[in-house]
Amino acid sequence: MNLYQPHLVKIDSIIEETHDTRTLKLRFLDPEVAAKFDFRAGQFGEYSVFGAGECTFCIASSPTRKGTIECTFKSVGKATNAMRGLNEGDTMGFRGPYGNSFPLDRMEKASMVFIAGGIGLAPVRCVIWNTLDLRDQFKDVTIVYGARSVADLVYKRELTEWEARKDVKLWQTVDPGGETPEWKHEIGFVPAIVEKAAPKADNAYAVVCGPPIMIKYTLPVLEKLGFPPERIYTTLENRMKCGCGKCGRCNIGPVYVCKDGPVFTAAEMAKLPGEY
Amino acid sequence: MRPGVQRVMKTRSISRENLAALVADLVKGGTDVVAPARASDGKVDYRRVAKFDEITMNGGMPRRSLKEFFLPPTEALFSWKQKQADITLEPVPTTFGPAVVLGARPCDTAGVVVLDKVMGWDFRDELWFGRREATTIVSLACSGVDDSCFCRVVGLSPETEKGADLVLYPADGGFLAQPVTEKGEALISAHSARFVDAPAGDPGKATAGKEKKATAAAAAPATPGGAKSETVLPAGAKAGTAIPAGATAAPASVGTGGIGGPVDLGSVHDWLADHFEHPLWEAIAFRCHGCGACASVCPTCHCFDIVDEPEGVTEGTRRRNWDTCQEGRFTLHASGHNPRAQQNARFRQRVMHKFYIYPEKFGETLCTGCGRCVRDCPGGMDLPEIVAKIAALATKDSVRS
Ligand SMILES: Cc1cc2nc3c(=O)[nH]c(=O)nc-3n(C[C@H](O)[C@H](O)[C@H](O)COP(=O)(O)OP(=O)(O)OC[C@H]3O[C@@H](n4cnc5c(N)ncnc54)[C@H](O)[C@@H]3O)c2cc1C
Ligand code: SF4
Ligand code: SF4
Ligand code: FES
Repeated sequence: MNLYQPHLVKIDSIIEETHDTRTLKLRFLDPEVAAKFDFRAGQFGEYSVFGAGECTFCIASSPTRKGTIECTFKSVGKATNAMRGLNEGDTMGFRGPYGNSFPLDRMEKASMVFIAGGIGLAPVRCVIWNTLDLRDQFKDVTIVYGARSVADLVYKRELTEWEARKDVKLWQTVDPGGETPEWKHEIGFVPAIVEKAAPKADNAYAVVCGPPIMIKYTLPVLEKLGFPPERIYTTLENRMKCGCGKCGRCNIGPVYVCKDGPVFTAAEMAKLPGEY
Repeated sequence: MRPGVQRVMKTRSISRENLAALVADLVKGGTDVVAPARASDGKVDYRRVAKFDEITMNGGMPRRSLKEFFLPPTEALFSWKQKQADITLEPVPTTFGPAVVLGARPCDTAGVVVLDKVMGWDFRDELWFGRREATTIVSLACSGVDDSCFCRVVGLSPETEKGADLVLYPADGGFLAQPVTEKGEALISAHSARFVDAPAGDPGKATAGKEKKATAAAAAPATPGGAKSETVLPAGAKAGTAIPAGATAAPASVGTGGIGGPVDLGSVHDWLADHFEHPLWEAIAFRCHGCGACASVCPTCHCFDIVDEPEGVTEGTRRRNWDTCQEGRFTLHASGHNPRAQQNARFRQRVMHKFYIYPEKFGETLCTGCGRCVRDCPGGMDLPEIVAKIAALATKDSVRS
């Protein structure tokens, strides 16, 4: 067996997030692999449907929840469409974990600000649960999450759960026009809501994931709030094949996203050529 | 392997007849022999040979590089079989039968060690190293240098031993054989009847004193800047390239790709690091068709794709296939966004990867100057010319600042 041969995983359950996005809970078939498997928040894997091929997703569940891993994916192409055709009990492939991670130990005792747009909540959700499962190690937890419309919000049950928690400040928003008559939360783009939420920058870290345009307009807001670029984290998605630094596909200048990333600070990103 | 350790190995010589007999012994013993051999169209390729006669020693540049012997253009990674919801995977072997590469070009053997770095950092590519371990590489110092060769520009030479286990040098009636690694020495020991101790200076009449001189001269380059024998090391030959006494080195003018001599790869690296944006990148790629021929013939280009090939509905094979950064879909996101949408961005990646990114990450230039990409480009892209241009820009910048 070589490093490109995946572990077999069985689909434990499927959650329909939106019309095109699903979350799969996966269990390793080999109990030995399951027992040994470990990862850190921010890492990713290569998931595959045999016959359709591999694709790269972050591990959307928290490393504090052992036994299974979860991925949340949007159907956009060959492999993701095939994956959408799978049912509970079906077998897939998984290899990983790959890449670097969020330095959570460095963030201990700090406040955490999570900002996500659309399916960008998937990698952030991993860190959110990691933080919440170790809640007493962190100060304030603020989450700003937005989607184009109410129908595009992912992890709806978890949003309800976070909203109910006293130790989490959750701001939910949809783009103007994306609201429904029942929508009780914010209406507006994520950067504007971050400005409104105005999380304190003292001893705080921000984790930002979402469409490039959202990231672009959120960074200046964070800087205005006093977040230095070294304390703003994001993840990058360049097309990948091997996931482990061999296939030459994912680099941005001298940085291999699959090995040196996918987690970068805004300070690191500012030094990269614009090839992502 | 430390160069200093390799270098104490004794030079031998082998006649043509004995080399032919060695090939016969190897083939008979079940070892695959891979060597440059003429295809039916008259072109030379690395291929599996059954006897020495098929081999074209120093008979022109093989069309494709030695890389494909370690990283085949397409190879199975595993296969799957499905029965209802149950899937079983069938691994492919990661151990390989013994093989000897014979008469490889020095620029090709150098490419193989350059690629060891990317194949082995952190995650280990078992398929690559499985083949590497099973294979002994015997190179042949190059006397077939043509106008496109530019090994000297990238710090190598027609005699470079980089990546070889054993280097052969043409000599009267046969070859001098300089083992460079334990593996090379082991090949000689296993077939000791075919070799004789090297007659330094002359394969026919050896003297102990001369032989000692050959070894000493050979040992010198282990300490760069140390005493180098002028007669043995031609001007422009890089430290690490030492040829035994009795072998002739190619003149310093060959292998410079028409740009006259080596360039300062360090300043090329530094210039590239600072010039991701530069008018040069706008200008140079218009000739490029984006066909990727350059990558497929290159001994160091190693990008690959991973794809499934179903056979029917319930089984199939996942394969790795060569790929090229010169092709538009290489970086295309499923969303339609493409970080390298234009050909000039893709050609910049080619130059950056070879002369900045790979050296930065792995301490090796991702080009051995084989000149294949120059020879085979339908658009007339000339890599040594581009590197020389960058070196000139770097000098201009350093003069200005
Ligand atoms: C680190 C990282 C994390 C990610 N996390 C997530 C996540 O959590 N959730 C998520 O939904 N997405 C995530 N993505 C994006 C995800 O990887 C892609 O959406 C997914 O790989 C698309 O796969 P696909 O096979 O469905 O699409 P593809 O079929 O690859 O998509 C698009 C089109 O590209 C073309 N194409 C595909 N393969 C080839 C080829 N070999 N040669 C030529 N053309 C080709 C085809 O025309 C195809 O229709 C992540 C990406 C990265 C890098
Ligand atoms: S440089 Fe030449 S060989 Fe390479 S992609 Fe461009 S046209 Fe093809
Ligand atoms: S870049 Fe061109 S000259 Fe350099 S090793 Fe590759 S094919 Fe040979
Ligand atoms: S995905 Fe293959 S090198 Fe990064």
